[in-house]
Amino acid sequence: MKVIAIYNIKGGVGKTATAVNLSYLASLDGANTLIWDLDPQGAASYYFRIKAKVKGGAQKLVEGKQGLEDAIKGTDYENLDLLPADFSYRDMDFYVELTKKPEMHLNKLLKPLSGEYDYVFLDCPPSISTASESVFDAADVLLVPTIPTTLSLRTYKQIKKFFKQEHYDSMKILPFFAMVDMRKQMHRLIVEYPPSFMPGVLDSYIPYASEVERMGINRAPLGHFSAHSRAAICYKSMWDEIKSHLYPTA
Amino acid sequence: MAVNQLELVFPFDQGFSELLASFKNNFSVNFQAETVNYRVFYDTFDWLLYNNGSALEAHEEGPSRRIYWRADKDGDLKIQLGLRQVPQLASDLAECEFRRQLKSVISVRELLPRIKIKIKRLPLVVLDKNKKVVVRLSFDEHWYFPSKTRAGVVLGKRITIKPVKGYEDEHNQVVEFFRSLQLHEARDNMQKLALAESGISTTEYTTKLNLLLEAEIPAEQALKQVLLRLLDIMQQNSAGSIRGRDTEFMHDYRVSIRKTRSALTQINKVLPRDIISKYNKFFSGLGKLTNPVRDLDVFQIKLESYQRGLSKTAQERLQPLRDYLAQSRAEAQKEFVNTLKSAEYRQRIKEWREYLENPEPTDPPLEDTRKEIYKLADELIWNMYQLALEEGSAITDDTEAEALHELRKTCKKLRYLMEFFQSLYPANKISELIQALKGLQDNLGEYNDLYVHGGILEIFIKQSSDTDAKKACKQMIKLIERRQTKTRRRFAERFASFSSAGIQQEFKDLFVESQKERL
Ligand SMILES: Nc1ncnc2c1ncn2[C@@H]1O[C@H](COP(=O)(O)OP(=O)(O)OP(=O)(O)O)[C@@H](O)[C@H]1O
Ligand SMILES: [Mg+2]
Repeated sequence: MKVIAIYNIKGGVGKTATAVNLSYLASLDGANTLIWDLDPQGAASYYFRIKAKVKGGAQKLVEGKQGLEDAIKGTDYENLDLLPADFSYRDMDFYVELTKKPEMHLNKLLKPLSGEYDYVFLDCPPSISTASESVFDAADVLLVPTIPTTLSLRTYKQIKKFFKQEHYDSMKILPFFAMVDMRKQMHRLIVEYPPSFMPGVLDSYIPYASEVERMGINRAPLGHFSAHSRAAICYKSMWDEIKSHLYPTA
Repeated sequence: MAVNQLELVFPFDQGFSELLASFKNNFSVNFQAETVNYRVFYDTFDWLLYNNGSALEAHEEGPSRRIYWRADKDGDLKIQLGLRQVPQLASDLAECEFRRQLKSVISVRELLPRIKIKIKRLPLVVLDKNKKVVVRLSFDEHWYFPSKTRAGVVLGKRITIKPVKGYEDEHNQVVEFFRSLQLHEARDNMQKLALAESGISTTEYTTKLNLLLEAEIPAEQALKQVLLRLLDIMQQNSAGSIRGRDTEFMHDYRVSIRKTRSALTQINKVLPRDIISKYNKFFSGLGKLTNPVRDLDVFQIKLESYQRGLSKTAQERLQPLRDYLAQSRAEAQKEFVNTLKSAEYRQRIKEWREYLENPEPTDPPLEDTRKEIYKLADELIWNMYQLALEEGSAITDDTEAEALHELRKTCKKLRYLMEFFQSLYPANKISELIQALKGLQDNLGEYNDLYVHGGILEIFIKQSSDTDAKKACKQMIKLIERRQTKTRRRFAERFASFSSAGIQQEFKDLFVESQKERL
């Protein structure tokens, strides 16, 4: 089981869109896939028409395998399941707990699912909370969508710095450019000449495209209603690139 | 994800449309585009998995591949393997429980796609009031195409109901609907149905001759039947030998060549001389091509046990040897493949088959051409047994290795003759004597293998410049020599039991006395 976290401290950079589209592509490969909506806003759950509500509250999730299993819902797509967000996350500050209590560490929560799923995608909320550490530990790769602007690059640098300070494996970080608008001079420059502190930036990038916004109206992954659009093709080639990172020899 | 999906049998000769209409009246459904999927069952050339009750299958749905394994007939638990493709050999897999199970059934044999079932699928989903998918169904037609030229057949129709996690109530309602129609739950018997359509026999392949010869037919007719059967085995195994992954193909191919040659040269007063000499030459050339490949295969199999006698460091130093073996095998294999693919080879094989299938008796006949086969078989076997006894008794602890080699060849000839004509004798009696012979042959064979393997190592040492590897090989040669001595020590005892008064009497009863009884 490979855990892929989509993470950025910055909000609105396309994390959820990425998590939804990539998990859908993984399921099309025939891989058993789970997307865990870790954001109390429940955007990913919304895209899959699933109520952002865990029966018995988020507390249930930490009550062992059964707790998680009961909360998982099948999506409209074969091989793709979702663990919904819960509004009550916010009240109990689920995230703080995720790191502080060893029994709530994501790694530990995910372990019982490892026989069942090939991929778990974590759609993370934008935050600098200490909970991120639990994500960093559990993830095999940390996808960081980055808009090609000076400000976003600074944020990316912060994440890297944090990784270094806390001795996480920085090889896990896979940044890519998101919401790219090649008509903009700055976007073009940064995408064509990525800064030296982004040596591992993916070759594939996601353009700014209105189809991606339409996901919210259709409540479906892009590939489902517009498989041949430019953005859908970009997600597909990004997924292939990520797989070649996960399975270097294959 | 498909958890406890339910599969129901739908009557063969009915269309789905009426049922669909009534279903639509009860549920809010959404039809999806029809898809074509495949189920491919993998097995060895000789159906080892099927005959063991296990199954390895790949489900191909668009770009997705899922691979399932069922360990045995009774364990109806089918597990999905975390593999992207079916391995060609058990040894292609990393060490794991599945590899262990697979290896115990197929050993070194290669897995091939054997049965492919095409599933025409009409998928549909049941929606709740939020238009969320809550149950997934499909109406499936399973097709099998026995060959490119024969029309496809429908093996069966199925309705599959798959729950969506978290929507159990909706699932139960749908199941209720179908239960009320009295549809049976399906058993997974598609492979069996396809096999029945295919006309393939899963038990047919054997390297045993399994001929039923009539005792009184002329020797020529019997010999041609034997040779034809050997040619069949050869041809059944040639494609696999050319692929070269599964060493058993080459083994079976090669044994039938050797048997053919043995038949031509031992039973040498039946067919015309020019035929014998022409084909003996041809098959001898072919046999020689297979020698280095087979020797290297056997050596590689044995290497594991040989090197166990070496220290860890010495074992690690053997890499140049392994490279050398792999390269030599590849070269030998290439030469073999070139010959088998040549027009000349195909022409010769074709002519041989035509000759054997031609019922015309040889005219003028040779000394044994028209002799009744049981008489000739008795004579040949009895004489060969006498020769084996003679050669064996002359062997003492200090006889040259050459004599053991000769005896090994004689025993092989005897064994082949007994197998060719097995059906002329009471089954229990002849197989008992074959077993007695086999005990001796195993000993001689092992001795010979050790001799050949020492030789391979000598050649490597001569041409290698790696001093460490050479040193390790010299150690290994010492170990092999020690084993040879041990094997040789056991010879006397094996031969004694093969030449015991009891066994001699049984040979006599079967191959000399029984003739008198017949008369
Ligand atoms: N490539 C894109 N082109 C155009 N619009 C996009 C693109 N990616 C995302 N969007 C839109 O931008 C908005 C934010 O995207 P998304 O929710 O994926 O970001 P996020 O990083 O998950 O946000 P948050 O931090 O709030 O969780 C959404 O309205 C989405 O439709
Ligand atoms: Mg989001």
